Amino acid sequence: MKTRLLVTMTLAFTAIALSPFLGEGLEGETGAFVFWDLRVPRALLGCLVGAVLGLTGAVYQTLFSNPLAIPSTVGTTAGASLGVLIVLVLLPGADLMGASAITVAAFIGALVVTLLIAGVAATGRARVNDILLVGIGITLASGALYTGLQFQADMDATFQAVRWSLGSLSTVGYQELVALTPFALITVVVLLTQLRALDAISGGEERAFSQGVNVVRVRTVCLGMGALGVGACVAVCGPIAFVGLLVPHLVRKALGARRRILLPMSALTGAAFLCLCDGIARWALPDRNLPVGVITAALGAPLLVALVFKKKG
Amino acid sequence: MSDAIVLDNVCVKAGKNILLGGVCLTVEAGEFVALVGPNGAGKSTLLRALLGLRPLDEGRVTVAGQQAHGLSGRDRAKYLGWLPQQSRVVDAVPVIDLVMSGRFRFDETRTQAKEAGLSALRALGVEHLSDRALNTLSGGEAQRVSLAVLQAQEPQTLLLDEPANHLDPAQQIRTYTYLGQQWSQGRAALCVTHDVNLLRHVGLGNPGQRVRVVGLQLGKIAFDSSFEDPMLAGHLSDLFGVHVHALDHEGTHHFAVMGGGA
Repeated sequence: MKTRLLVTMTLAFTAIALSPFLGEGLEGETGAFVFWDLRVPRALLGCLVGAVLGLTGAVYQTLFSNPLAIPSTVGTTAGASLGVLIVLVLLPGADLMGASAITVAAFIGALVVTLLIAGVAATGRARVNDILLVGIGITLASGALYTGLQFQADMDATFQAVRWSLGSLSTVGYQELVALTPFALITVVVLLTQLRALDAISGGEERAFSQGVNVVRVRTVCLGMGALGVGACVAVCGPIAFVGLLVPHLVRKALGARRRILLPMSALTGAAFLCLCDGIARWALPDRNLPVGVITAALGAPLLVALVFKKKG
Repeated sequence: MSDAIVLDNVCVKAGKNILLGGVCLTVEAGEFVALVGPNGAGKSTLLRALLGLRPLDEGRVTVAGQQAHGLSGRDRAKYLGWLPQQSRVVDAVPVIDLVMSGRFRFDETRTQAKEAGLSALRALGVEHLSDRALNTLSGGEAQRVSLAVLQAQEPQTLLLDEPANHLDPAQQIRTYTYLGQQWSQGRAALCVTHDVNLLRHVGLGNPGQRVRVVGLQLGKIAFDSSFEDPMLAGHLSDLFGVHVHALDHEGTHHFAVMGGGA
């Protein structure tokens, strides 16, 4: 067990450290600039976003006792996408205090939707599956509004919205990194403080309640923090598919379901997975600047299927 | 000593259905109370209402002299421990992690919690299971582990929901003997069961002590008796609608169901 943990950690750190070296453009005069001003912030961003997505995925799966529960199933991505399209249609090219209006709109959209879910959870009357269903309902409703709005939008806005929805680490420098860091750190730290309560909840929510866990508070804190962290990530990078869903399952397969291991290792593995995917995107198609969201989905989907079938066998 | 649990006119409804219709019941500190009744009588609902898992529509619950709804989660966990009916976990979490969740109410280090968890597993005779994944346990093993979780919590009063459900006869006796030991250590218990005969094993380690048997029917207390009460067989016959006969053997009662339609 200890060996497996050590091997996984070594692999993860190696992947993160190697990722800036993947891809062309490091030779010649501009090499240092490309490395320090483009690749390194991109890898750091990949770490933050991957850690937040992997960890919130694992936390939501524990909270809902459901392997499909991740922030995007409870509406985070749908809310952000809707926010972005609204801005693209109504306020094209607007800036809000230096930040691009798209970023702010994505953040607000993700936050509003997920806080709505956290609010339902905070009433204490709803059971976990009810909360999940409310989340799916809101996702579908946002999707309908999105499609309706898209019908009204011009070609330009639609194209931009589609580009944004692919999810990418490429348009980013140190400025966005600095903006994202506090959100990501607060999310990771606060979620990890809930470890003991989440450990108890993994043995059944009602039993955890009888053991003294304030289940409603844990739910509200975790959903709220997930909204904050994932909202900030989506705002900066767009929705990046599959990391939150795949990474916890991957870690569970390799290291078991013990929450004390699963949660922090999902953060680390998420960071490594996203950096690696970004590196692969650069290395595979050097001049196309393929969005990382395409790679995470293209790699993640078959991996997940393979994982499920390996479980059965 | 104050009473462990007092239910005062407790009503719980689900829509128009009345699950508990004004239940008044007091469990004294250190008392063993078996709660019997047909399916749907409201036994599990009563335990859940006590724990605060089910809101009351009327009435109130007092735990160790304090209003139950005003208790913090950790205080409640100090007074009341619950053995849920369906307590099997499907996740591949190691046994020791689940047992340690029973230590949530304590302010202690992880090492202390683990030590307490291992000693709880030892008390149940299943220390060797500590690293096994929960989803690989047999029914009997899972029940021992669930009891170990409760043991680790060290509550003053045990709320037990059919602790011998799905167990083979030897395991059933083992479980009730363990509960008898807990009782002789001063814990109170409110134990939901269908099998009155198993209560004999609770009483064996506690000679001279009275095992109280309370009948619940359609959300109301039907009788309040004891294991040694000669009237108990008659009460049970009325409660379940079958002929229950008390047979005396080696100085204690055995209850036998002789046929339906009393």
